[in-house]
Amino acid sequence: MSESLGAVAKAFPQARLVAFADLSSRMILSSAGSLATTQEHLDRLCDQARASFDDPLFSLSVEAFGEPQGAVVMGADAVRVFLRSDTEPADALCCICDHGIDLAAFVAKIRDTLESITHAG
Amino acid sequence: MNKATLPIVARLRSLQAAIRFAAGGARVIAEADDRNPLAQLLRAANETMLGRSLQFDSAGGPSLTLDVSGRRVLRVTAAPGLAGAESCLGAEVLEDEHKDDLIKLMQAVATPRYELRVTSGPIGRGGEEVSVGLPVALLADLVLIDLNDLAADDSAEEEEAVPAPAPERPSAAAPGAGLAGLAEAIGLGLQAWLIVGGPDDDRSNGAEEMVSHLQGFLDDEREAVDRQLDLLSPEPGAPVCVMLGATLIEGHSILVARLGGGLLLGIVEGECTGAALAAWRDVLT
Repeated sequence: MSESLGAVAKAFPQARLVAFADLSSRMILSSAGSLATTQEHLDRLCDQARASFDDPLFSLSVEAFGEPQGAVVMGADAVRVFLRSDTEPADALCCICDHGIDLAAFVAKIRDTLESITHAG
Repeated sequence: MNKATLPIVARLRSLQAAIRFAAGGARVIAEADDRNPLAQLLRAANETMLGRSLQFDSAGGPSLTLDVSGRRVLRVTAAPGLAGAESCLGAEVLEDEHKDDLIKLMQAVATPRYELRVTSGPIGRGGEEVSVGLPVALLADLVLIDLNDLAADDSAEEEEAVPAPAPERPSAAAPGAGLAGLAEAIGLGLQAWLIVGGPDDDRSNGAEEMVSHLQGFLDDEREAVDRQLDLLSPEPGAPVCVMLGATLIEGHSILVARLGGGLLLGIVEGECTGAALAAWRDVLT
């Protein structure tokens, strides 16, 4: 898992943190990237991932197009990307990126990475 | 000013504007700090009366070559580095069904923060018949760009003349670059949107049925949405923009943005993450 996350961070230097989380237990299980983080940071990131896939926006999404599996949260100084596994919704990648990242390419990459981690587990 | 003179004055002003040439005879039509390179691309096409091939090159990599004649885009002849160009490239002459795809290609090559150059050359195929193709004015209307918007040029020049103020809170965005500016900058990918609160209160666009649905949702859930956004923000009420989708890069997504006391809620179709992020950066700066 560490190698997979490290490969993403290496391929996308603008991804400062790539972390694998178990959303059901609210735990970051592994992470890679240049961003120095504390446990509080990781806990907060995990909470934000859960909040992204929560109501009321979750219900609106389900109504509009089905259950959401991806969220992009754009703040003033960074972009956070949260992606849930299609097959194991508790498995998620939580990422912190610079604004200059190619989001489409990055999302496609972490989608593949997440599924490979989930299937390997 | 007489409305009929606006296109003429706009053309005269563009002729007076400082032009920078790049290697190979290309003309730089949008610098990296240009707020709306798509407008410059459309204006370059709109100024082309005789049949020409216009090759637009972004410093970011992608390129788009159009056959243009009589203020109409006749066809796409090359699109290296651009995804989703197949339908336009395969068309002998662009028709109404191609306009959405063409606009997406234009948006993809004319991305903010990258210098945009144009190289003019002989048209590839016949351009004498100018009643076909897609009118540039129609394309501009679809992306809410006024080809003769002198006021926008004036404000841009004023911004250059006045020293930049010290950075403030992100919500202090320049007038016109608020949530409505965000929606307009994202472009056609944002199928329907609505703003409640703030300076752009009650502005909307898109199919009436979809806007009505968004309005109904916010009537019931506005406070709950704010609470959810607070969980994703560094502090309550802080600017934040969220996209939530099945895959984010295809199908539909929801976009919600909070800025300056207003809330924008919209439905996005297709891959729009890059456009949304670029637009969001712009409204924050």
